[in-house]
Amino acid sequence: MKVVVDRERCEGHGLCEAIAPAVFHLDDEGLVRIAAEIPAGETDAVLAAVRTCPVAALTRS
Amino acid sequence: MSTTSVPSSDVDIFADDVLTDPYPAYTALRESGAAVYLERYDCWALPRYDQVRAALGNHERFSSLDSVGYEPSLNELRRGGVLATDRPEHDTLRAALSESLAPRALTKLRADIDQRATELVESVVTRGSFDVVSDLARVFPLTVVADLIGLPPDARHEVLRFADAFFNTFGPLNERTKASLPVADRLLDTLISQMSRENLVPGGWGEALYRAADRGVIGEHQVGPLLRAYLVASMDTTINSIGSALWLFAEHPQAWAALRADRTLLRSAFEEVVRFESPVQVFFRRTTQPVEIDALTIPPGARVAMLFGSANRDPLKWPEPDTFDIGRAPMDHVGFGSGVHACAGQGLARVEAHAILSALLDRVEAIHLAGPPRRHLNNVIRGLESLPVTVTTSEPA
Repeated sequence: MKVVVDRERCEGHGLCEAIAPAVFHLDDEGLVRIAAEIPAGETDAVLAAVRTCPVAALTRS
Repeated sequence: MSTTSVPSSDVDIFADDVLTDPYPAYTALRESGAAVYLERYDCWALPRYDQVRAALGNHERFSSLDSVGYEPSLNELRRGGVLATDRPEHDTLRAALSESLAPRALTKLRADIDQRATELVESVVTRGSFDVVSDLARVFPLTVVADLIGLPPDARHEVLRFADAFFNTFGPLNERTKASLPVADRLLDTLISQMSRENLVPGGWGEALYRAADRGVIGEHQVGPLLRAYLVASMDTTINSIGSALWLFAEHPQAWAALRADRTLLRSAFEEVVRFESPVQVFFRRTTQPVEIDALTIPPGARVAMLFGSANRDPLKWPEPDTFDIGRAPMDHVGFGSGVHACAGQGLARVEAHAILSALLDRVEAIHLAGPPRRHLNNVIRGLESLPVTVTTSEPA
């Protein structure tokens, strides 16, 4: 599974980071950075983060 | 022509008794179906979480164009505003707001907002007893947002009346709306003229919109609706989430104690407040084509009520939905909507609410009701008119 962020849409609400901190991180500009590898066992949290993004900036590819 | 029976209801979701306590009506609607025809209003309601979420994510089939409120003639009032447009026009407006409102733009404001919260909280808690709504919840977002916009001081006292009246106009043409229309009309003219380019304090969000128009990023005609969006959308929503939070913590002292013991729960706790008592209970959409929901078909051109308040209490989504649980972390509630029209100010709402709650957690050991809370009824907003409390304080840290 891979997750991509639409950086035009991301507003930095940080809900993804709150849900799956091992995978999502807000950088100094307040934009999301996604870990290159999604650790085993994080899949459910990552999918929840994708669903939760308030501006639908995250998609699973 | 299908003859299968369509779930329908004669409930009046805008009646006083339902607005006072909408949850029994929501339960009945959710149990009737995933989409329910509201006979009184010739419209459809989506009372369950999954369908509300899906509809909000499908802005092509569920259009906001002239359809965020119930009444077509009143939707014209909102025409061209960020709530009531579809893409691509919507994205231009939204981007102009996001420039100031996105959380990344808010980080530099946080320390100032925290400081203001500390001062305001200090001034009320030292009195021992106060009204959460009039002394705290209505004061804080108004002063914070008015300063951020650069609203001149004499323009401020009517903002809350305007916001309340404007929200009523999202409902049907009932008595509440009829009483609100002249108020909204008159105050909008006054406020927009007070927010002229020369009146706004330089450096604020209001001036930034005029500058965006100068650069051609937005049209000159879009400045007014965006100023209105800042003013209206940032008031009753935040006010009522702060009011509801304090009411819930007064009713659940163990939750307040748990939060004092573990501040990392604050983020989850505030989302739980918004889930449990969603400040915006309903907005509408209009179908652009036939939409199938749970084996029935909503025809094109139908008005569809997104029952946020009901979706956020849907037992198919939330275990024990009527239990206030600050550890629930309900990050994917629809209290701020979702998708392209998701609340643009939700980051600011969180900053303000976290600031007020943090300041209270520093100073207040327990919150006690000092009298019965009184509801304020609005066609789409849920909140309190009055919440008298006394507080047991600890020394400033």
